[in-house]
Amino acid sequence: MKRLAITAFVVAFGAVGIGNGHAQAPEQEAPGTTGTTTPAFSPVTWERLVNAADEPENWLMYSGTLDSQRFSGLDQINTSNVSGLELKWAYQIPQIDRSESVPLVVDGIMFITEAPSNVVAVDAATGRQYWRYNHEMPDDLRICCGRNNRGVAILGETLYMSTLDAQLVGIDARTGNLLWASQVADYKAGYSKTAAPLIVKDKVVTGIAGGEFGIRGFVDAYNAETGQLDWRTHTIPGPDNPDVQTWSGESWRTGGSASWITGSYDVDLDLVYWGTGNPGPDWNGDVRLGDNLYSDSVLALDGAGGDMSWYFQFTPHDVHDWDAIQVPVLADIEYEGATRKVMMWANRNAFYYTLDRETGEFLVGKPYALQTWAEGLDENGRPIRVPDTFPTQEGVVVSPSIGGGTNWWSPAFSPETGLFYVNAFDGEQEYFKRDEEYEEGERFTGGGGQNVQPIDTYKSAIRAIDPATGDLVWEFPIQPRSTAGITTTAGNLLFSGSVDGYFYALDATTGEELWHMSVGRMVHSAPMTYAVDGQQYVTIAAGNVVYTFGLD
Amino acid sequence: MRWNLTPILLGALVAGFWVDAPLAQDEGNLFDTAVDARLGERYFQRTCSRCHSPDATGNDETGAPNLTGTLSNASTDTGVFRVIREGLRGTAMLPINPDTPDANVWQIVTYLNTLRTDPANMNLPGSAAAGQALYAGKGDCASCHMLDGAGGRKGPDLSRVGERRDPDELRTDLTDPNEDVLPRWWTMQITRDDGSTVQGLRMNEDTFTLRIIDENADLWSFAKSDVRSYERSEDSTMPSYEETMTASEVDDLVAYLFSLRKETSE
Repeated sequence: MKRLAITAFVVAFGAVGIGNGHAQAPEQEAPGTTGTTTPAFSPVTWERLVNAADEPENWLMYSGTLDSQRFSGLDQINTSNVSGLELKWAYQIPQIDRSESVPLVVDGIMFITEAPSNVVAVDAATGRQYWRYNHEMPDDLRICCGRNNRGVAILGETLYMSTLDAQLVGIDARTGNLLWASQVADYKAGYSKTAAPLIVKDKVVTGIAGGEFGIRGFVDAYNAETGQLDWRTHTIPGPDNPDVQTWSGESWRTGGSASWITGSYDVDLDLVYWGTGNPGPDWNGDVRLGDNLYSDSVLALDGAGGDMSWYFQFTPHDVHDWDAIQVPVLADIEYEGATRKVMMWANRNAFYYTLDRETGEFLVGKPYALQTWAEGLDENGRPIRVPDTFPTQEGVVVSPSIGGGTNWWSPAFSPETGLFYVNAFDGEQEYFKRDEEYEEGERFTGGGGQNVQPIDTYKSAIRAIDPATGDLVWEFPIQPRSTAGITTTAGNLLFSGSVDGYFYALDATTGEELWHMSVGRMVHSAPMTYAVDGQQYVTIAAGNVVYTFGLD
Repeated sequence: MRWNLTPILLGALVAGFWVDAPLAQDEGNLFDTAVDARLGERYFQRTCSRCHSPDATGNDETGAPNLTGTLSNASTDTGVFRVIREGLRGTAMLPINPDTPDANVWQIVTYLNTLRTDPANMNLPGSAAAGQALYAGKGDCASCHMLDGAGGRKGPDLSRVGERRDPDELRTDLTDPNEDVLPRWWTMQITRDDGSTVQGLRMNEDTFTLRIIDENADLWSFAKSDVRSYERSEDSTMPSYEETMTASEVDDLVAYLFSLRKETSE
């Protein structure tokens, strides 16, 4: 027993007893007036999420705003002073895995997710911890690609996190207490969850991973209060839907089409947009003849009930693992003389697309990265395939690589430059197929890929694209390549990182390099920016460290 | 260290096992006697205690978790065996020396099992059902404690308190709450340069900064150099129930709290 009170004083606070309130509320000042505190956060209402662009000091969801532009209105750090950025703090994630997390910041509190499925709340100005939540994990997980978690969502005072053991959990944002846990699917059958959920009104919309395990994908919406399932829309049609005929035999049952990255939401149209992954088995299409709907597609789902309003399939009958797992970027742009509500999408298949997001109509489609598999897109946006590019037992070399022209790394759109930005890779791969039987909980890929030449052989770049034409405006070459997301700001800056361990800032209009910092290890996450007490910060996770920069 | 080996080897002989016996993980734990537990404790002290501490309650600085409650990375004997044998990827938990025979690993598993109190073996005097009523009623526990996502934020979440506190500890918590107060539940009072004060429970404190949660559950962070003073009370903010509850009511509450485990809280 130890009771070494350094200073004893009367504890009025928190005294408990029946009917015994607090003797006196502590005096409090308006948040942020002294510079010695971070503001105490107020509940994040749906209205705040809808208008997230109006409070750029906060980063309230994975992609910043519901339209997923990853554009911040902050301009304290700008093209004239970004060269003076310096390290403010670093937070080390106590896990060896590379971080893919994008933190949220709410009124001075930052929420960071860690491998395998943990959350820590820190002071956004200092990186020092308030609380942590460690998720209990079974010892027999099935995960394809690392112990990743990419972030939380917040509504009210509750954080929502997907876990590797296929749960959605609600966590008290003030204490880290677990409020509820919903088992979404059976992790032993290969289902897992890695992406940040998306809040849509009073629902938590969330996808599923496991496309390499013969799962049948879906997009779910859960009641934000209780964690109960509100609706589930399968990403592969069942027997009650004529589209099931795009799968030969019973192959729809194990066709993958996972939904493992965060979608977007249009408030006016009440449509949730979500990308879907590769059909399974990935590289052997012989056992799933047909277009394999709705794999490699973007789905437009009614927010209230999950009904499919439209879909657009980028890669019918994919045999190269080119998931349409990109964040849908929404904007209203000038197109052929009129303002159109569009969706911008640089796909893993190396084509860039602009779609009408009300109807799914195909407007623009052009390659933005090296590709050898399609002669082009027809008037409906359907690829015209080059013969003999399907994987074989002996192997066939095709561009892009399995990793794709891009992948899940968040792209960005700046309403100030009107440009869409993507990390592009001009790679290639030798694709193989093999025969494989489905076995629950085992990998079900039907082949694989072999690197043809050293990575340094290939070109990689941040590319700025005009969404009205699909034309390249500028590119910033990267050596050897980047797997990071992109964020732009009202300071006319573009922030991103790269595999060689750099974090850097470009001029968003010209692509000119303005600042770079060696952060020591692969950047495999997306930057975000926020402000506390009037000071703007920029944060990036690199390796397993979260770095935060600001001006002096 | 050689002196250490003799009793272990003797113990293994006494127990009737030898290290080259054919053992496979999927046969389950064949080494579950009291003697195995004693031998397992010896291996544990030699191999595991440096990080997990000699009483297996863990070590915040090394990040080694407490092994006396519910384990977070394994739920079965086979799972614990595998964690010890193979380590935990991405963490400081390394695999045990590959030369260590399976028998010794199983004995560590058996020892760890003895550190957990099996509620089925407890014969508590109180009634959990009556305790549940007291929790919601006379005790007013939910005004400060969270349970399955509902309740206050002024005390620890009790959803699974039965996994980490045994009945004697729970009784002490109720009747003498100042006996054992975790630093997270100390109280801090901060006086700013302008004389205004903020008071709250201590979420974290380090050399240069400290963070609290106030009575409105707002989170505050301070640089120590920027405030006039800060004071700490290591007393609990929880009242003693020694006077306000009868002995049998305390028994009931203990029985209820001890029943709060993962299985029952879902």
